[in-house]
Amino acid sequence: MRLTGRTTLWLLAPALVLMAVLYVIPLGVYLINGFHEFRDGRILSVWTLRTYAAYFTDPFSYRVIGTSLRLSLVVTLLAIVIGYPVAYALHTRVKGAAAKTAIALLLFSPLLVSVVVRTYGWLILLAGQGLVNTTLRALGVISEPISLLFNMRGVVISLTHILLPFAIFPIYSVMGRLDPSLKEAARDLGAGWRDTFLHVTLPLTMPGVVAGALICFTLALSAFVTPQLLGGGRVQVLPLAVYNSTVEINWPGGAVAGLSLLIISMAAVRALNALLRRLPTA
Amino acid sequence: MSTPTPDRETAIETHERRAEALRSGLLRTTLALGVGFMLLPLVIVVVYSFSSVAYGVFPPPGLSWRWYAHLFEQTAFRGAFVRSVVIASVAVVISLGVGLLCALALVRSDFRGKEALRGFLLSPIVIPKIVLGVGWFIFFARLGMQGGVVPITLAHVIVVLPFVINVLAANLVGLDASLEEAAQDLGASSGKVLWHIVLPQIRSGLVISALLAFIVSFDQVESSIFLTRGENNTLPIEMFLYMEKWQDPTIAALSALLILFAAVMVGIAVVASRGSEWRRMLPR
Repeated sequence: MRLTGRTTLWLLAPALVLMAVLYVIPLGVYLINGFHEFRDGRILSVWTLRTYAAYFTDPFSYRVIGTSLRLSLVVTLLAIVIGYPVAYALHTRVKGAAAKTAIALLLFSPLLVSVVVRTYGWLILLAGQGLVNTTLRALGVISEPISLLFNMRGVVISLTHILLPFAIFPIYSVMGRLDPSLKEAARDLGAGWRDTFLHVTLPLTMPGVVAGALICFTLALSAFVTPQLLGGGRVQVLPLAVYNSTVEINWPGGAVAGLSLLIISMAAVRALNALLRRLPTA
Repeated sequence: MSTPTPDRETAIETHERRAEALRSGLLRTTLALGVGFMLLPLVIVVVYSFSSVAYGVFPPPGLSWRWYAHLFEQTAFRGAFVRSVVIASVAVVISLGVGLLCALALVRSDFRGKEALRGFLLSPIVIPKIVLGVGWFIFFARLGMQGGVVPITLAHVIVVLPFVINVLAANLVGLDASLEEAAQDLGASSGKVLWHIVLPQIRSGLVISALLAFIVSFDQVESSIFLTRGENNTLPIEMFLYMEKWQDPTIAALSALLILFAAVMVGIAVVASRGSEWRRMLPR
């Protein structure tokens, strides 16, 4: 359809109005609170940098940021390390488009169910007498039940499960776009499976890996339900800090914590996007 | 390098074949484990919804329907489910309307700053939802709009809009613009072109974006948790708050029903988008 400049503006107008009123203004109103101060249980509407100063001199802030970064990093690595071979197996070892689609649907189906439901599933699985502990004991791997709930372990396992499809999908789709003749050429030149994989497939699928890492890292960084329900108060990450500050009506403190979460996640997006642009594409 | 003798060649070939068989076996096992890992929490939830006891022990000592009975006594969940469906449906309708116009402008016209605008429109995807949630809480509190479903619905529109724009724009890119231009040249108005030429061609994109938007809206916790105050909880928030207090299989029974609900929704979407594919192929 040919659109005139005026029509284009009319088409964009509803979205722009909604985004301005319900996105830009609320974010602005929220972040402005960081320049106010919370004292004696109420918010003082004075303009000050004291909330920022207090936040960045408090060692607890750095502990929370550290926990957030560590959790996101570990979970992203796990999702990629597990997701890559799964995507590769789906791409190379399943014959027929229908079978591929069916297995891909099975892998992504948990996304259709609320994250609260999935987290509840892990709550049952990781319990002291749950399936995981019972199986590990039956196999003789452990003699006593290990505690997998209400600490970092449970959060890592559950979050890896939640993010795995977001790692598999971009890697799988890049593999699908790979020119099969490249692999054949490598084989014809005498390269074995290992050399073909290490020098052709892996480098050319790195864009998928980085794209997957980007999604996983940002989602892990902003995860709230899983650390809250499975962390048992021992996994203090940035979204929980924002939540707790807000519950305590400490909007200024919450705004500063929220801004650091926002900045870290934007920085991660920018860094990984820059990396993505520098990678060779097939 | 010396030329391999025929004997050595067969030896190498046998070795290669064995290695390939081993690799295939390992990869198939990995895939099976991956699928198992992804489905495990859902399967266990369904199993536990029939457990006869409240505590989590594997395997459950007996089977019963008691958690389903208990679930249906909890009227809060029923109200929250209806509220969530209504909110998600309204958010889907608004975001499809707004998103379609927006995607059309992004795909069919060129203007300065288009890529920056696209980035801005898609940015809510990467903003941590808790930050948006607190933002909406303060914003709507300032406006005196507290409680009810309107603020939650408006918030969900912003959350799902980028997904809708993304899917629809990708669908529109694939269309042949000359078809629309021919209709315009023959005197059809923009509205007619949109309705008779564009929409029928992107029907599966509309179904997919509606489904995606519904699922994303239905799953919102931290973006909406400050907009609810007990009497207007959405379903995931009602479940979240229930789980913070109790962890009996009532939640499993509800989760099992939600898994069934998701399966039915996907079934409908598959049939609907298939239907449109068929219709496109049939002569009018």
